[in-house]
Formats: sequence, C-alpha cells, structure tokens
Amino acid sequence: MITIDERLLVEEFLFKEARLADESCYSEWEALLEDDMHYWVPAEAGQEPDDRRVSILNDNRTRLATRIRQLNTGVRHAQVPPSRMRRLISNIEIEAIAEGEYQVRSNVVLYEYRIQANKEMVVWPARVEHKLRMRDGALKMYSKHIHLLSSEGPVRGLSFII
Amino acid sequence: MLDDSQPSEGIRFEELIFNDRVHSSLYTDDAVFEAEMTEIFRNGWVFICHDSEIPKAGDFVRRNVGRDPAFAVRARDGEISVIVNRCAHRGNIICQEDRGNAKAFVCQYHGWAYDTKGGLVDVPYPAGFKGDFSCHGLERLAKVDSYQGFVFASFNPAVPSLLDHLGRATELIDRAVEMSPVGRINLSGGWIHHQLNCNWKMLPENDTDGYHVNFVHPSFAQAIRSNYDEAVLQDEESLKSEAKDWGNGHTELSFAPSYSRPLEWFGCAEERYPSYTKAIKEAYGPEKGDRILLDGPPHAVIFPNLFLGEMNIVRFEPVAPGICLHIHTPMYLEGVDDDVNQRILRQSEGALGPTAFLLADDSVIAERTQMALAGKGGWLDISRGSQREVTDESGVVVGHLTDETSNRGFWNHYKKVMQSSVQSTPDAVSA
Repeated sequence: MITIDERLLVEEFLFKEARLADESCYSEWEALLEDDMHYWVPAEAGQEPDDRRVSILNDNRTRLATRIRQLNTGVRHAQVPPSRMRRLISNIEIEAIAEGEYQVRSNVVLYEYRIQANKEMVVWPARVEHKLRMRDGALKMYSKHIHLLSSEGPVRGLSFII
Repeated sequence: MLDDSQPSEGIRFEELIFNDRVHSSLYTDDAVFEAEMTEIFRNGWVFICHDSEIPKAGDFVRRNVGRDPAFAVRARDGEISVIVNRCAHRGNIICQEDRGNAKAFVCQYHGWAYDTKGGLVDVPYPAGFKGDFSCHGLERLAKVDSYQGFVFASFNPAVPSLLDHLGRATELIDRAVEMSPVGRINLSGGWIHHQLNCNWKMLPENDTDGYHVNFVHPSFAQAIRSNYDEAVLQDEESLKSEAKDWGNGHTELSFAPSYSRPLEWFGCAEERYPSYTKAIKEAYGPEKGDRILLDGPPHAVIFPNLFLGEMNIVRFEPVAPGICLHIHTPMYLEGVDDDVNQRILRQSEGALGPTAFLLADDSVIAERTQMALAGKGGWLDISRGSQREVTDESGVVVGHLTDETSNRGFWNHYKKVMQSSVQSTPDAVSA
C-alpha cells in the first residue's frame, strides 16, 4: 500500500509527463527518462516485448534518443508544425514494486488535431502502464507501455510522443 | 464470376495518362476508383499472403482483395484457396478471426458449415433446404497461384498466367528469398495496418521514387547514419543507385550500385554476422554469395499491391479514392541465427508504419498531396529523366535514381490495364 504523499508524487509526475508530451517539449520530456527506458506500443493484445511479433513502436533508450533527435531537427515533416494535443488521464492505480519504484496503470484519452496535414481530429484511447523510480529525490520513468485500443488497425500516423 | 459491369465506361484513360504527365482525377475520381477495383483488383492478379503464414492444414488468414473481404486457407491436401468471406446463404462474415486454424467454417447466423475449400458440408434443419450442396459453396477466387511462396489470386478465370503477369520481375522475388541461405522467407511477425488518407497509387509510386528522399527525409538523414547516406542522399552526380521499370507495372529502386561493402544494406559490417555470411556463401557459392551479400535485398513494387521493401514485405490496400492502407511485416529469413531476424524486426519497426523514422513523413506528404488534388485538379508531371534512361539487354528500362523511370513504368502498365476495360465495352470509342 502506498501513502497519500507517494500517490501525489506519482500523479504529479504523470500530469507533467503528459503536458510535456502534449506540448511537444521533446527534450524536457526526454529529461524524465532513465537509461534503461523502454517505450513500447504493441500491435496485438497479449503481445510480449521480445516475442518476435512486430510492434507499432518498440524503442530502447538509444532508439528513443534518435527519435527525439529527429523530432528536434525541425524538419520532421510529420510534426511540422507539431500536432496540437491534449490527453486526459484517469483510473490511476499505483503499486509499489520495490523500494522507491512504482508500477502505474491508467486510462488515457489523447485528442490529436493534425494541424500539419488535413486538420483532422484523431482520438487515441489507450491503457497505459508506466514504471517509475525515485532518483535523487525526483521520480524518473524507465518504462512506458501504451496499449492502444485500435492497435490492430487501421492506425493513423503517430509521429508525436504518445 | 467475372464482373461484367463496366464502371470505367466513359473514362477516357488515353486522355488522362501520357508518358510525361498524368491527370489528378486519377487519384480523386470515384468512377476511376470503381474501375480500378474491377480491372486491377478483380480481373488481375493481386498479392494475398505468403504460404509461410498458413503452414499447416486448416491455417487461415483474413485479407481484403481490393475491397472484397476474403480469407486464404490451406486444406488438408495442402492446396491454398482464397475464398470470399461471405456466407453463401445470407451473407454473414464466415471467418471472423484475423488468423487461426479451423477444421471447418460454421456461419454464426444460421449454422451453415463449410470445409477448408469452401464446399458446403452441412445445413441445419436439412428438411427445409431445397438447394444442392454442390451449388451452395462459398465463392472462391477463380485463380490462385504462387511464386516462391508468394500467393496471388484473381477473380478472373481468364486472367493470363501468374508467370505472364510477373514477367521479368520473378528475378526481384528470387532476390528477396535468396537473402535466406535456404531460399525461404517467413512472414510470421504479424502485420501493422497504417492508414493514409491518400489514394492507394501514391504508395507504389512513392515507394519507388528516388527523387523525394533528400526532401521528405532530411530529419532522418540528420538524426541517424544509415546505408541510405550512400544509396540515396548524395548529390545528383555522385548517386550511383538506379530507378528501374521491369515491365508490367513492376518497378524498382536499385541501391546495389551504391554499396561497396558486404552487409552495407543491413547497416553493419560483414563481421557482425559471420555465420550468416558464411551460410550464404556456402549455399550459393562464393561468386553469387558475395553478390547477394553486397547487393542486398530488392526495393521493388510488384504491381499492383506488393512491395518488396528490402527486409520488409508490404501490402497496399485501397479503401476509397482518398484512403488506403500500407500494411507491413518484417521479412524473416529461414536458416539463419535468431539475431539476424531480431535485427530485421527492429529495422522494420524503425522504417515502416505509423511511428517510423521514414514512413510517417511520407504519409504526411502524401496526405498533403491528396489535399492539393481536390476539386477540378490538374496535371502532374512524370517526365523527369526520360531523355537519359536506357533499356538494358534484358529489357529493363534503367534511369538515374532521381528519374521518374519507375513511375512512368507504373503508369504505362496501369493505362494498358484500364484501357482494356474500355475497349471491351461494345459502345466505347476506341483510342
């Protein structure tokens, strides 16, 4: 069982992480990550990260750094200008999995307005699992798994930080 | 049954497609789209699946053929049928799972049961059934054939042979499977369905367009070093890669002339996968083996809906004039160590699909192009490099990487296919 203070800290992290992603603050978002970060959007229910089935996205820390670097070039057409986004987070369940480490389950609905293309509103509902750890007095993220409701497709372009 | 309706009646393709330009209505017009669904996706050969997806008796995968729902299934005798996914009774979807294994397909509406070749085997409450089992099977696509495990099908019983359709491009498919030391690929990785709000023809066009890379993918070039630096990102004089028209609408970007080291196409040194390079040389002999390791896999489109995308296999699926799907899977190799296929998987996720370093940018450009073609539209220029392309000894037309040789090849064949429908209409004015 976690304390109220722990819950507040975790929620504060989730909301900040969501805002930085919503506002395409790529480097600030990247500063939340641990070196063993795993960022994953599976394609199928029941899929495992290493089970030889193709994922929509399956980044280790190195590839995620490349992804951020590409977004930061300013010529990543798919995000120039960046999608206008707002995501709502709810049903937050927090479990302490080790000293100072938490697994967080939440429901997320992201609204994406594709201002750089056809000015379409795309809605991305998902079940999200974060893994966070306390490092030097602040929470950092070492895993984010985004289980899209529509992962089996069709899936629209997803070049932003989800 | 061959579709006798002629939705293309009245469309004068000879006035919309020239060697140096095509009209934008070909990407936006509902009547053109309907005509394509008949002439290309029903009357011609369409790529369905690879036989490695359904290795055992009863294995099936759901697919759309154009817009027609279908599934491919392997029967006990090994034969693969491609069957329309519609109960012969009242039209319910008969195969509900995307993939799986079944001994029989039973309709959940009234319980009609079919075998793995689509034959009707049982009807509940048979006393009221006045039909003949043999006449009430599921509709099967008239022709199914395969080459190197790639399964194609057509609704048209009179379609010329698959080998006629593939023509010289069998060589492209051979090159893909010969990346494996045992000559077998394996499409067991699952498929990602990426929706683009653009016309489906922009997919085969863009996938063999070597001109756009510097302009659509500068963020990729800046963020990561890759084999594409040498193959496609040089200045005009330095580029050695080529655009090719293989005939029958099959087109290629050939990167091989740019590569000077084995496995350069794989983004690594030869020493990284010693057992793989050894196996290739042993399987194909030193000369051909070295060639395979140097040249790498093809980057080529087989008309109309198959992309041999280096170490990926892609299906194109039309949905509506302004909507299509780009559906990809990693091209796993048989007879290699696990780490080779692991690298293929990670590269596939990096290059293709909604989040990819490359395709996400192609898709936004394609969607903006589709927007630009709205309304009355206008002409699109495909003339680049026609003065400097050459035809090689085997009949393949070869151009500079940045030339529209490949796109002209696509459109020449498209025009031939679409015009045949107009000419077969009794009252149509011939070109």
